[in-house]
Amino acid sequence: MTAAYSCHGDHCITCSDEGLPMRVVAIDEPGLARCAAGDGAETLVMTDLVEPVAVGDLVLVHAGVALTVLPGEAVA
Amino acid sequence: MRYVDEYRDAELGRALAAEILGVAEPGRHYKLMEVCGGHTHTIYRYGVTDLLPDNVELVHGPGCPVCVIPMGRVDDGIAIARQDNVIFTCFGDMMRVPGGNGTLLEAKAEGADVRMVYSPLDALRLAKRHPDREVVFFAIGFETTAPSTALTLKRARADGVRNFFCLSNHVTIVPPLRALLESPDLRLDGFIGPGHVSTVVGARPFEFIPADYGKPVVVSGFEPLDLLQSVSMLLHQLAGGRCQVENQYRRVVPYDGNPQALRVLAEVFELRPHFEWRGLGFISHSGLKLSAAYSDFDAELRYAVPGVRVADPKACQCGEVLKGVIKPWECKVFGTACTPERPIGTCMVSSEGACAAYYNYGRFARDLEAV
Repeated sequence: MTAAYSCHGDHCITCSDEGLPMRVVAIDEPGLARCAAGDGAETLVMTDLVEPVAVGDLVLVHAGVALTVLPGEAVA
Repeated sequence: MRYVDEYRDAELGRALAAEILGVAEPGRHYKLMEVCGGHTHTIYRYGVTDLLPDNVELVHGPGCPVCVIPMGRVDDGIAIARQDNVIFTCFGDMMRVPGGNGTLLEAKAEGADVRMVYSPLDALRLAKRHPDREVVFFAIGFETTAPSTALTLKRARADGVRNFFCLSNHVTIVPPLRALLESPDLRLDGFIGPGHVSTVVGARPFEFIPADYGKPVVVSGFEPLDLLQSVSMLLHQLAGGRCQVENQYRRVVPYDGNPQALRVLAEVFELRPHFEWRGLGFISHSGLKLSAAYSDFDAELRYAVPGVRVADPKACQCGEVLKGVIKPWECKVFGTACTPERPIGTCMVSSEGACAAYYNYGRFARDLEAV
């Protein structure tokens, strides 16, 4: 699994106000989903705060947590 | 990608720039503070200031969590990292922040087991893989990041993990804003409010700014068009004599935040009586420590830490930069003794730090303004 973040990319992951839109690609267990960034890199994301989520949902991820489900355009 | 590309459209950007030019009163100087480092980064990366009239000035605020960590807390982290049997984990940029006696990266070079992680969950997984070691996570960040730490600790407890600890440096956004507004040397016309912090806390907590201090707030997204629209909304409020909290980032920010996240924060954390901020000093009720229910995971209780307050280097003016009193390039050591490769101050460490953002994307401006 490739980390979707970089400390030298668009943003530093330490930034408290950085959020990355990611697509849910698989749900490993309740509250844990694999999500892909725009470049396809996948990471494990906690989804407790936005349950229920489904494969295809677009979520805003910060520091390994989905903070919100972005509206519309869910693709299964 | 959706939610990215359409917010970088050049034609729409030019239209917003024209609208801003139309609403800005000639002869009046506007100082607007973007609170968070993510905004600072976008502003420099996309040259947003180049699209604004000369009399609309953007001032950088204290919203970079790396930049506000005081040197003494770094020393506390290093002291724990040097303990036998500890794997010390933190976000990448935190490794380069200078404490009173070097950085975590230097401690690693000297033999401490310091590892970069991308999330607290990564640190917890490390603890599960190394049950014979103690894994400590150096937690930083505002209310955006604190839920990640909180959920990870809940998961650690549910999974019965006993070798995972957290050194909490989490902070809250409202107290430093109030401290800034009380600062006598601060002159601002309005605030571009932090977008993703507001995803958790909502826009409502910022209502004290117009109510108590008479300044408008627009909670903003992070793409260039978001920022231009937020500037336009602030100028419209000022032109129309209005003063309120508006939410430009409605596609993401609910006005009342995320109730699940707020519940998790209330369960896992409690407010410290006070917490030290770099450049801003001690601010009451501005820091989060683990609650009594999670004290078994509290690194401050598990390990002896120096807990010593370390004064910033004299040449460093991060405090003035964080308050927006001076521009990064006005600091005496900017770009000379203090660079991203060898930072003296925290603002030069993180790519969200005002100094690093300025150094990386806008250094030319120093020469122009010096002429």
